[in-house]
Amino acid sequence: MSRAAREPRARRRVAQATVGAALGVGCVLLWPTVDSSPSETLLGAPAVSILSVPRPERLGRDRHLSIWSTVRRPALARSAPQGDAPAVARVGTRTPEGTDNTVLILDRVSDTRGRVWVHARLPVLPAGRTGWLPRAAIGGYRLARTHLMIDLRHLSATLVRDGRRILRAPVGVGQSRWPTPRGRFYIRNKLVRYRSSFYGPLAFGTSARSNVLTDWPGGGFVGIHGTDRPDLIPGRISHGCIRMRNPDIVRLGRLMPVGTPLTIR
Amino acid sequence: MDDFLFDRLDVDGALAESLARTGLSRAAFLGAALGSSTALLGWPIESADAAANSPATNDVFILNYALVLEYLQAAFYTEAERIGALRGKNARAAEVVGSVERAHVEAFRGVLGRKAVKRPTFDFQGTTENPKAFLKTAVAFEDLAVAAYKGQAPRIESKSALAAALAIHSVEARHAAWMRYLFGVDPAHAAFDQPQSRPEVTRVVRSTNFISGPPSTKADRSPRYMG
Repeated sequence: MSRAAREPRARRRVAQATVGAALGVGCVLLWPTVDSSPSETLLGAPAVSILSVPRPERLGRDRHLSIWSTVRRPALARSAPQGDAPAVARVGTRTPEGTDNTVLILDRVSDTRGRVWVHARLPVLPAGRTGWLPRAAIGGYRLARTHLMIDLRHLSATLVRDGRRILRAPVGVGQSRWPTPRGRFYIRNKLVRYRSSFYGPLAFGTSARSNVLTDWPGGGFVGIHGTDRPDLIPGRISHGCIRMRNPDIVRLGRLMPVGTPLTIR
Repeated sequence: MDDFLFDRLDVDGALAESLARTGLSRAAFLGAALGSSTALLGWPIESADAAANSPATNDVFILNYALVLEYLQAAFYTEAERIGALRGKNARAAEVVGSVERAHVEAFRGVLGRKAVKRPTFDFQGTTENPKAFLKTAVAFEDLAVAAYKGQAPRIESKSALAAALAIHSVEARHAAWMRYLFGVDPAHAAFDQPQSRPEVTRVVRSTNFISGPPSTKADRSPRYMG
């Protein structure tokens, strides 16, 4: 190797030795004064996150939760989760009041082809009927934590949330010739700002239908609404609807969301 | 970006109210929160104290963008857990990852305060009820989240916001690996991951149609009940 070729290599060695020595001296000088490694000192402390992340929490079992959904496209409800099972009802996308039609979800299964079917409570006759709908026919799931119970014998309404009673009020129910149907139903819609003193300030639509007044305009659905005759409540006074005094229906309107299961017994 | 999506993000009208005060358009907000520009420079600051403790304006957009993705993920796993259609390792993964995504949501909402976008409503179209569809969607969500955080990291102004994003980014990457493993695909298949821009992420999210409008169950029509 020529001298010219050896000189740059020698210079590099000298330079490396000098830098190494300098870093070593730096380390020695810094070590007693800082409580971190040299590289940490050069990089600085890590930035502090602005987020305060709470401890992740599992949901756990919640037996007070109900799931409901809208009907996204018209569908045949079937007696079993199979495309060739007998149809039990046709379910549309809208209610007679023009709101989205809804169903209460009870269960679900996947068929042999991997298609999901949901077992749902339906707003059809006979009152309280259930059927299986293809999952593709319904929309996103919504949750309800409340449950409304109507006691026909004691003429009372009780609303519970997460298993605890939050409202109790007297009600008017169907006369003996037009009885309020018993069974398990759900709240389908909420009507407000209409002009009818007969129905009071607010009305809920339910999935319950009269087994007697089947030719009633709109299909004979049972509503829960206010009244212009509070003096008749409690009593057996209606065509099948559940009437409440206006202050009570207003309170119910604040506390009960659509999708709430309804038990009439 | 359109009014349709805005309405789904702004379910209680809080954003519309804020924008009305500033004169900014919905498109400007969405362009910034989920889209491609940083047009929303005049975002209202409630007070001097709030300004002192809040992230920079550009970071607010990025954090809201991240919040929407976290809402999406949290809602997905939460629904899967609530419904209970998954079993075994899939169910456990949904529980654990769901709890973490909910914590991310709360963290973002906490730091954004009143500037946080509202929780949209979702329709996961059965993907939470079928194990194969669940895993396929979970892999897509987690990969998307990792790429989205990576895409925004260089654009974050505040070091503390960047630290927050990186802290979550690595967790999302672990989730991605977990879901990939469960789905039977390579958890780490490439030497380098690519970032995804907001328009790209937005296009993917919109293509799923998982962000849906709230149901229309209220009306002001006269009742036709039996009375």
